Amino acid sequence: MRILVILLASLAAAGCAVDTASPARVAERFHALITANQEEAACGMLARKTAQRLPSRGQTCADALRELRLGPGGVVTSVSVWGDEAQVRLAGDTIFLHRFSDGWRVRAAGCMPVPDLPYDCEVDD
Amino acid sequence: MRWLKENSLALAFLIMFLFAVAGQAVAGTLEFNDQQRADGAEPVSVLQYVASSAFAVNVAENWQSEYLQFFLFVVLTVWLVQKGSPESKKLDSIGAESDHQQQIGAHATTQSPSWAKVKGLRLWLYSNSLGLVMGLLFLLSWLAQSVAGQAAYNSERLSDLRDPVTWGAYVTSPEFWDRSLQNWQSELLAVLSMVVLSIYLRQRGSPESKPVGASHLATGVEG
Repeated sequence: MRILVILLASLAAAGCAVDTASPARVAERFHALITANQEEAACGMLARKTAQRLPSRGQTCADALRELRLGPGGVVTSVSVWGDEAQVRLAGDTIFLHRFSDGWRVRAAGCMPVPDLPYDCEVDD
Repeated sequence: MRWLKENSLALAFLIMFLFAVAGQAVAGTLEFNDQQRADGAEPVSVLQYVASSAFAVNVAENWQSEYLQFFLFVVLTVWLVQKGSPESKKLDSIGAESDHQQQIGAHATTQSPSWAKVKGLRLWLYSNSLGLVMGLLFLLSWLAQSVAGQAAYNSERLSDLRDPVTWGAYVTSPEFWDRSLQNWQSELLAVLSMVVLSIYLRQRGSPESKPVGASHLATGVEG
């Protein structure tokens, strides 16, 4: 019985020990790079599908990101992680991320909430 | 060999269960990965899928409804009867029955389980143990469905660029009740079918059926 309790407690602990720090760091870094006018490096943090969708014809990803003039992100106010998806709320933005084998990448940024509907994002996939 | 024969019913269902769960894991992984590729995400292994909330909620939502079905069947058949059905007790035996009929307390035999020979809480617990365990397994499976369901639902919501919901919001959401009720209705229909069809139809040699020649009016008779 004691072994069962320990096993269940371990499983619960393992299941509940969600890493919220990693997606928060990626979201902060993404905005820090944009603020520092390093859009090319910021593009390197996007999910592949998002990076492909972002530029218009004849434009680079960095050009498109620069054109959007995303405001400063500010401090992280909350992080939600469910499976391989995460949402990081910053003082000035909401960012959605996906966990790939090489780590968290930005799927959507510059997002504004819309009641009862998906967020309206400047950058998404 | 004799042991295998004497336990063949449980063993057959155990083996079929394991094959079905393994099949569900493989088919579920293929379907999950199909969606992953469409979403621009990476495919997962069968082991990763089996450890996911998506698999857990699919398993738990089916388990809870099966245990609910058996809980209701075990408990309601104490009080409710169906004329002509072998799934029902005899029409004049409604209720918990006498200590003599149930072989408990002073009426216990030497072969009776030890908790059937005592009085008080232990006897009450043992007298209702089948229903209690089925009911408990239903509640635990339903709780597991709600926890895994919230995780899978929130993952999907985040993927759709929507806010995640709390557990309280999830268990009052249409998604949770749709998953629960679609399973409940099928289980209740299956019991209804068994109770009613077994009045008129027979399966020779099966204890779930009346003897082939038994009257349609014979109740509580198993062949």
